[in-house]
Amino acid sequence: MPLAQTEDIVRAVCTDKWDGQRLSPSLFVGENVSVSRLAVVPLADHWDLFRQHVEKPPERWLELIAEINVGRLQAIGRSQNPAVALTVEPKPVDWNPAHAEIPQKITRGLAGKILPELALHHPPPRDQE
Amino acid sequence: MTTLSLPTKSPAYTLEEGLREPADPPTIRRGASGEWAREELLLRKLGPKGWGRVYQFRNYYESGWGEKGRVLSPRALDAFFRFLEEATFPADRTSPSVFLTDRGGIELCWEDCNGKSVQVEFTGTGAEFYRAATDEEGAVAIDGLAQLSRRLAA
Repeated sequence: MPLAQTEDIVRAVCTDKWDGQRLSPSLFVGENVSVSRLAVVPLADHWDLFRQHVEKPPERWLELIAEINVGRLQAIGRSQNPAVALTVEPKPVDWNPAHAEIPQKITRGLAGKILPELALHHPPPRDQE
Repeated sequence: MTTLSLPTKSPAYTLEEGLREPADPPTIRRGASGEWAREELLLRKLGPKGWGRVYQFRNYYESGWGEKGRVLSPRALDAFFRFLEEATFPADRTSPSVFLTDRGGIELCWEDCNGKSVQVEFTGTGAEFYRAATDEEGAVAIDGLAQLSRRLAA
């Protein structure tokens, strides 16, 4: 069952998709884009979760966590011409019970409209985690 | 006055005859000239940060990086350089950004002279692009890259 519009989802942003100034549009391009649900795992706990499973030092570091509301994401899809009915489906995996996916194909143009709407969270200082 | 002297010993080893020959004068080893030209092109068009990121993507992202990332495709990299040779970017804007995509492509993003986003992803077969100013999206084959480069610069 798709997530409610009220839910907020996040996506890990690693070194390959962030150069300190711009986000890579490919972060949201394609089908089955992986996201994670803040309703299941709070943001503060996502830092450790992502570090353990998507970081691969020395080349790939977790730089940011990008957040968007599901309803907002769907509104952006509807504003496309032609409109795209985006949904977010829960897909828990072993390492992340909050894992979910956006099954529809997100085009490069649509991704370009999603990126400016993302709230970017920077990693907290180590002693606050 | 007493003078101490070490006892004379035979050397612990002797050099083979061939090793006694004078060595060749030191030389600087250079990469292939094409490779050097590519490095120079990267620095000129994308600056040190862009050069460094491409270096990192080529040398440190092995197959399976991240969740299911593919290693950078050599054909995608060739397409990227072919585009870059013809590309011009607005001088008064931030240098273009370079990213590695999960499918082993390389992605270039910048803003046009009106501040609108332009993005191109190079793959093994050519490139996919998006231009926010015209909301235009499409794909070109390898032989269309030079033309795409000129079109996106216009």
